Amino acid sequence: MRLPAPIQRYYQAWLARRLPRAPLVVLNQRRIFIFPTGYGFFYLAVGSLLFIGGINYENNLVLSLSFLLASLFLVAILHTYRNLSGLGLRNGGSESGYAGERGSLGVTLFSEHHDHHCIWLEWEGQPAQQISVPAGTESTLWMNLALPKRGKVLAPRMKVESVFPLGLLRTWSYVSLDHCCLAWPSPQVSQECPAEGGSETTQAAPTGKAGNDEFRGLRGYVAGDSLRRIDWKGYARGAGLNTKLFEEPAGGRLWLTWDALEGIGTEQRLSILCYWVLALDQHQNPYGLKLPGMTLVPDTGDTHRLRALDALAAYPEFG
Amino acid sequence: MRVYQVPTHTRLWLVITIIACSLPQLIRGPAWQAGLVILVMVIRALADRQRIRLPGKMVRGVLMASVVGLTWFSFGRIYGPDAGVALLVSLFSLKYLEVVRQRDAYVVIVLGYFVCATALLFERGPGMFGYVLLCMLLLTACLVGINHSDTGVRPLAHLRRAGALTLQALPVMLVLFVLVPRVAPLWNMRIDSGQARTGMSDSMAPGEISELSQSSDPAFRIAFDGPMPVPGERYWRGLTLSHFDGRTWQQAIPRGMEKKDYLAERGSPAPGWYKALMSAERGSGYRYQVIMEPTQRSWLFAMKVPVIEQGDAALARDMRLVAQKPVSETFAYTVTSYPVLSGAMRLDSIERELMLSLPDQDVGRRARGLAQQWRLDSSSAEEVVDRALRYFREHPFYYTLSPPPLPVDPVDEFLFMTRRGFCEHYASSFTFMMRAAGIPARVVVGYQGGEPNALGSHLMVRQYDAHAWSEVWLEGRGWVRVDPTAAVAPDRVENGLRAALSDSADDEPLLSGLQSFANSGLLGRLRQWGDYVDFQWQTWVLGYNSQSQMSLLRQLLGSVSPLRIALALLAGITLLLGLYTLFLLSRDRGYRQSPMEREFWRLHQRVASLSGVPLDTGITPAQLAERIAERWPRAAEPARQWALQYQQALYNPAVLADNPRIRHLRRLRNRLYKLLD
Repeated sequence: MRLPAPIQRYYQAWLARRLPRAPLVVLNQRRIFIFPTGYGFFYLAVGSLLFIGGINYENNLVLSLSFLLASLFLVAILHTYRNLSGLGLRNGGSESGYAGERGSLGVTLFSEHHDHHCIWLEWEGQPAQQISVPAGTESTLWMNLALPKRGKVLAPRMKVESVFPLGLLRTWSYVSLDHCCLAWPSPQVSQECPAEGGSETTQAAPTGKAGNDEFRGLRGYVAGDSLRRIDWKGYARGAGLNTKLFEEPAGGRLWLTWDALEGIGTEQRLSILCYWVLALDQHQNPYGLKLPGMTLVPDTGDTHRLRALDALAAYPEFG
Repeated sequence: MRVYQVPTHTRLWLVITIIACSLPQLIRGPAWQAGLVILVMVIRALADRQRIRLPGKMVRGVLMASVVGLTWFSFGRIYGPDAGVALLVSLFSLKYLEVVRQRDAYVVIVLGYFVCATALLFERGPGMFGYVLLCMLLLTACLVGINHSDTGVRPLAHLRRAGALTLQALPVMLVLFVLVPRVAPLWNMRIDSGQARTGMSDSMAPGEISELSQSSDPAFRIAFDGPMPVPGERYWRGLTLSHFDGRTWQQAIPRGMEKKDYLAERGSPAPGWYKALMSAERGSGYRYQVIMEPTQRSWLFAMKVPVIEQGDAALARDMRLVAQKPVSETFAYTVTSYPVLSGAMRLDSIERELMLSLPDQDVGRRARGLAQQWRLDSSSAEEVVDRALRYFREHPFYYTLSPPPLPVDPVDEFLFMTRRGFCEHYASSFTFMMRAAGIPARVVVGYQGGEPNALGSHLMVRQYDAHAWSEVWLEGRGWVRVDPTAAVAPDRVENGLRAALSDSADDEPLLSGLQSFANSGLLGRLRQWGDYVDFQWQTWVLGYNSQSQMSLLRQLLGSVSPLRIALALLAGITLLLGLYTLFLLSRDRGYRQSPMEREFWRLHQRVASLSGVPLDTGITPAQLAERIAERWPRAAEPARQWALQYQQALYNPAVLADNPRIRHLRRLRNRLYKLLD
């Protein structure tokens, strides 16, 4: 159902006022809406039919059957409401992605007092996902998120709904988690490496020269080390997970700089920098990144790459 | 779009529910219905195990057509209550073949509600209602199941949840049942429960009452608003028979009298005799409610002289009640009987003529002679009556339910040859002789006696209490009851049929049949309880109509107005739902403090309010003690003590924060309060 645009705008503004963005939300009576489902109306119609039958046949038992249906409906209001009431939602993890592709956001649901069954979480335009949250536990659901353009993409308003236990009533709430997903710039191929420092400043990054790096030794694996540097042979021998250490590569430290791409649009600059971050990372060349207001010292590895990509995505608001 | 499948954990509940809901009809209806349900269940079970595919449109169509055909074959039509219900139940089970998606399951459940309702149309006992409640529980469990999309859930959890919902719904249902106004039917749809029960017929031929005497079916129940009359006074008049053809007594209206003069109906002008009756002195009466089993006849039973208080009935000139239409389902009415009123009736000449009429001379020659002799020897009608009764007492008459046949002349053969018979023989021959002696007389049939329920709630009158007696017209006293059977077998009137038969060898087999209904032993007590439940059910559930509702509401609410009823409904439902809300949602109302936390915050707040300076909420017990020491140096030491004890209880694993410890802390705190001023 689509409301006319002005009403829709007004409605959205009202929702935003009533249910503001927050990193953690516990559903309560201010936030929960409840209304019969189509089946609920059908059920009430059946109850009324039985009522008329009971009246016309002057049969008190059929009449009380219709009263029982009505009573079950009334009690179901409480139970349906309770299924959502007290459910907590908070920010979970965030998986970034390149602009134009998809990222995902984790939503953590937790419950303190009682079980919540068959809760459907839905972002507009996305298929709904279902989850149950037993009392005293928490569980995380990953929701896909389209990343149309580079930058921070805020989590859309999420519909949390449930028809449990009888399907006669739908109870729902809108939750805006103060949660965002970073969209990295989509890499754009360029021949010139926008780098300074090292010996071959203006050349393309050395390709296939990883062998030139001088092997220096091993150290224990630390989370974040590049998988390509793991001593897999040693691992296969049973020596445990170790990371190979190399001497400074021949090319020296490269600084990818924003200023090297003078005269190109912001997004394009970021895309080119992104391409080079990925390219240098692939060849395990240490690289640094200089953006206006932000500097990342040269290093290698997955953590470093992600940090660099996140910096590009977040430009110009770091932090 | 979400594609639902009916979850596996709910299938068993669906099967059980379909069978349980159909069961009353499967028992009552034709056998092929049970076969159909089994067939459907087998097909479905095989399909669910991937042995066969679910039947397609063709097969389902064929099944549907054959169901319609079989219904036609069994009932001769496919509409009407019986055939309609049979068709509904068949559709209900056939629909299960189609259940794939959630909405199919919804349809099955809704059909289940209707199937439950039809079961209640035909059978209205508390047992059936309990059974239907069970079916409702199962239907609710199915509803929970199809809305539970977790795959790992245990099927029993559905039943538990449905049980909780149903238990909470029942009190609300009760409130609705009591308070929702009973509307008059929008259009009339009566269903005859069909079976004509055993009961009185409208004439009295030899042997009929003895057949009734072998049935222990309930005839009616009576609840008195006050003391019960003594057993010898419990004569429930049903109809009066005033025409005798030599063999059979029949009802008759005096020649030339019209029905409207004979019957005082509500809504039509009251006949003169009725006005006279209503204005006469009444004396005291017995007020009681009669709840009658269906008889398919329109006469009702009451003691004389009944004045109707509640219920649709008319009073006839012969002091009996007549219903507006044949009693086809349980029927209740309330009357007050005034024994004295019978003196206010008058006997017209045409009526007198009818009450003296006798068949032609061939019947009862000797009896007529005897009666006329008595008349000549007596000075009054009362004396003739006494002589007749003495005749029965002094000659060897026996009371038995298996009398020898009276092939030719029932009156003379009985009075002078066999002398063995039961109430109708005595009533018939006595009435005959009274007429022969010139005293207007008639036979009355009805029931006599009744067995008080052990729980004291009511009197149960069974078919074997059927009885016949006479009424004679005595100048100045009106119609007077004379029971000639009492002259022969006083036990019959005082203690009921069983006592009257107890020393008769002929009636041994019959007696042992009736004995099983006796009030002795566990079985007897159970039966009394069952009867009590049945009676309360009839009165409070089945008989709860707009009239009894009004009187109950008047008691509950003071006076009855639509506004008051609406307010009472609202209040009742709100109260119940409020209780449930408290019960269900109280724990969601934010965080609950532990006793230890409460201890801390009480002192915290006291210190904050006394010092007038807001305290940091993140303060530790030690810091709190320091604050106290700064402000109230006298209290420094107890405060330090308190903080130490508190921290010990909280952090020292060797010290338990149990109740004695908390009491100790509270004592310390109270001592501290005194020093703070």
